[in-house]
Amino acid sequence: MYPTEIDYHRASSIAEAIELLSQNDDAKLLAGGHSLIPAMKLRLAQPGLLIDISHLEELKSIFVSGDKISIGALATHAQIAASADVQSYAPALASAAGIVGDQQVRNWGTIGGNLAHADPASDPPTVVLAYDGVIHIQGQSGSRSVNAQDFFVDLFATALEPGEIITRIELSNSSSAKSAYVKLSHPASRYAVVGVCAVLEMNGSTCTSARVAVGGATMKAVRSPGAESVLTGSSLDDSALNAAAAAVKSDIEEFLIGDMSYPEDYRQAMAGVYLKRAVHAALGS
Amino acid sequence: MAKDPSFAVGQSIRRIDALGKVTGEAPYPGDINMDGQLWMKIRFSDRPHARVLAIDTQAAEAISGVRGIFTAKDVPVNEYGLVTKDQPVLCGPGSTIPGADVVRCYADMVAVVVADTEAIAAKAVKLIAVTYDDLPPVFDPEEAMQDGAPQIQINLPKNILCHYRIRMGDMAAGWAQSEVIVEGEYDTGYQEHAYLQPEAGLGYIDEQGRVTVIVAGQWVHEDQEQIYHALNLPPEEVRVIYPAIGGAFGGREDMSIQIVLALAAWKLRQPIKTIWSREESIQYHHKRHPIKIYARWGATRDGKIVAIESTVIGDAGPYNYTSTKVLANANLMVSGPYEVPNIHIDTYAVLTNNIPTGAFRGFGAPQGLFAAEGQMNKLAEALNIDPLELRMRNTIREGSILSVSTPLPAGVSMPEVFEACGRESYWHQTEDGRWQRNSLKQPNNPALRRGVGIAGGFKNIGFSFGFPEQNWATIELHGKMEIEQVIVRQAGAEVGQGAHTVFVQMAAEAIGVPVEKVRLIGHDTAETHTSGSASASRLTFMAGNAIRGAAAQALENWKNEERPAKATYQYRPPKTTMYDPETGKAEPNFAYGYVAQAVEVEVDTETGHIRVLRVVSTNDVGRAVNPELVQGQIEGAVVQAQGYALMENLVSVNGKIRNPFLSTYLIPTILDIPPEVKSVILEYPDPIGPWGARGMAEMPFLPLAPAIAAAVHDATGVWIDAIPLTPDRVVAALRAKGIGVF
Repeated sequence: MYPTEIDYHRASSIAEAIELLSQNDDAKLLAGGHSLIPAMKLRLAQPGLLIDISHLEELKSIFVSGDKISIGALATHAQIAASADVQSYAPALASAAGIVGDQQVRNWGTIGGNLAHADPASDPPTVVLAYDGVIHIQGQSGSRSVNAQDFFVDLFATALEPGEIITRIELSNSSSAKSAYVKLSHPASRYAVVGVCAVLEMNGSTCTSARVAVGGATMKAVRSPGAESVLTGSSLDDSALNAAAAAVKSDIEEFLIGDMSYPEDYRQAMAGVYLKRAVHAALGS
Repeated sequence: MAKDPSFAVGQSIRRIDALGKVTGEAPYPGDINMDGQLWMKIRFSDRPHARVLAIDTQAAEAISGVRGIFTAKDVPVNEYGLVTKDQPVLCGPGSTIPGADVVRCYADMVAVVVADTEAIAAKAVKLIAVTYDDLPPVFDPEEAMQDGAPQIQINLPKNILCHYRIRMGDMAAGWAQSEVIVEGEYDTGYQEHAYLQPEAGLGYIDEQGRVTVIVAGQWVHEDQEQIYHALNLPPEEVRVIYPAIGGAFGGREDMSIQIVLALAAWKLRQPIKTIWSREESIQYHHKRHPIKIYARWGATRDGKIVAIESTVIGDAGPYNYTSTKVLANANLMVSGPYEVPNIHIDTYAVLTNNIPTGAFRGFGAPQGLFAAEGQMNKLAEALNIDPLELRMRNTIREGSILSVSTPLPAGVSMPEVFEACGRESYWHQTEDGRWQRNSLKQPNNPALRRGVGIAGGFKNIGFSFGFPEQNWATIELHGKMEIEQVIVRQAGAEVGQGAHTVFVQMAAEAIGVPVEKVRLIGHDTAETHTSGSASASRLTFMAGNAIRGAAAQALENWKNEERPAKATYQYRPPKTTMYDPETGKAEPNFAYGYVAQAVEVEVDTETGHIRVLRVVSTNDVGRAVNPELVQGQIEGAVVQAQGYALMENLVSVNGKIRNPFLSTYLIPTILDIPPEVKSVILEYPDPIGPWGARGMAEMPFLPLAPAIAAAVHDATGVWIDAIPLTPDRVVAALRAKGIGVF
């Protein structure tokens, strides 16, 4: 399939990109293009104008400031996977970025583009949500930030307003936590049929705080408060994990999606399985 | 003349088409273009079952660049079909054939549009307005067999296309002797051929005025016959040429684009091209039959099977294609490679409004054996006898009487094949000669369980059940004092399996020259006599015998100083017969190939994923004309059968295929194939095979699905009697038994 005809403009700055985006109802930002272009080929997206921001250096950097790590919206998955700072501050994000799609996708696809697209089967939203990330956004009326919890609204829908652009993603230092992202990959696309990220603060063998997010099985990346509450205060033994798996299945019930190959009930069951696997992976057990 | 054995039968010479294929030089149908060619697009049915009341082509004709639109009224004899001419070429009013105005599935064609470009043709084809009067559809074969079900073909009440019976021995006595009885209900799914090259072709009028079609198929002379019948032309005015063919597996046995391309070229007298998309290919060519099998087997305590009762119901779609032959084969295979005194089988091919089903590697045997070998493995468990040992106690042997009350043709190697399979895989013989499984090491992770399964099978070589079987070859010997060049004319289709290379090797061996001196003139109806199809694992056997016969006569003529010395030979194997309608007595086949496979799997009991770790495929090929090509066929068949057993889940809802893409219809890739496929090639000669060769290309497909199901049971203790064993199906089955649940 080929996309419909489109206009193309290479933006010279963030401000110009926002300006153009605000003036054209049918404009889309082009970053790595690895979510947008496939959607255009399938005619799921038919923008009249593409505003190319892929070369804007100010959106590419990854830097540490105090106990926060900031990842530019145009940082590629490959760049994130290879970043020593991300590996230290948010190890599960680095490892998830290393298993997004394939090498070509990772070399071109960006985290900002990925989060803005909010594909339920994508890996980064689940991980950013589990790390309690903050999405920094710029628009015509200035800057604002949105917690990941509030950013993912629905299937392919986010809190971004028209004319807004993600500039960076900020995560707290989780280097003292145990964290992991594991997924059941679709054999053809490598998208997540189910992806689970667990971020666990530990005091000895006791879990003092747990954050659990699920994607793939759900229309958007969602947290599992039930699983988090079961795990918190537990020693993450088999009975706690089984109870957490049951809780995650119940928490995602209202968000489930499925298809011919992987129906809803299968994905729901796998969310429980992959929660256990995520905890084991986080603990290295 | 001294023979150089390093250049002929038994040698793994490089394929004669290898260089062209790896460099991209070899032309496939989609690569071939002609000056001034037009493009064709097909309008398929929009309904599963409806009468076409009217076809309005005005809006389509009004588009600039449209050169012709053809419908039912334009087809001189509007019918075709490989076994039965029961399908309209184009469905719609204005045809002389009764019932040709009815569409019976989404794969039926209603109109073709020819235009200057593919884009114009694609646009115009959508603008054809078809008025349908919906007829009640039926999609479930067991419903279609009931009184009062919608009738799909005029002459077939209750939609039963064929009903075969096997009545052997005394069932009452058999059940009376049975100390253990196992029952099962087996379901096998559709399978898509998924060949690399989707349907494509070029139709034109050649320099001698013949309606010519360049296309990929499996039998040039059959395509030619289907075309001249529909166009009502003399045979010599129609020509079919195959260039390189990008896979077939049975999926090109029936017509796709052949007749409509010829029709359009004949009407417009211009070259016309068409290429199907992958989506069109998956939606519109036939599939492997889904078959439901009910089975009840009885055995004595010491492991002798004494009674088999089965009902076999295959979904044929609305037309025969080769369903009457596929189900005939399933009928024969559903009692497995065993000698059993009392057998009672009813087999039906039933019409539905689903996609047509037809030939696919194995041709009914994989389905029949899935049930038979499933029953055998369940019996082994119930009797507490090793599954290989149980097979050895019941296997067919030289002189065994089949379910059709006649002995097998000579050269039965099933016991040797089973034994070799056991020895080369996971079994040993105890001191008293019984077969016993070796113990298996389990992974530390309790969620991962490993298991081993075994299954065997056999399959006919060549056409069966009285279908006329023949193969022609012509050989010319050029030179003066010595033979400088051998020209072989042989139409057998090189579908990717290596047939052309094997023809050249056999000709070189028969004449006694190096293969470099042999030139093959292949599939072109203007240049060759018929070879029959590239199917039923028959080409090495059939063409080999024809080549050998032609070579002997040509050498005789050479001795008599004929220059060039030329001979044409028709090989005809021993006759076969159809089932007796009441008892099933028959001599169904003239030769068989034998196979057994052992497989080790690892089941993730939490996710339902099955990894095939190792396959040992033991195949009696009679004589490996080219051992590397034999190995290639074994490995290819194993991977294709693994897809059939585990992954390939074609979803049809109310007759419409819902996943016609390789992103949603999953087939194995490099990441899925087993780390090890051990090909054990046995050479017990077939008494009438050329140099002892048997056919072999289907056999390694046959036992893998039941071997995997047995391995999954060995790993988990759960029988799953439906394939494909998709993760969700496996998880549901395991959880029903309390496995993998937490």
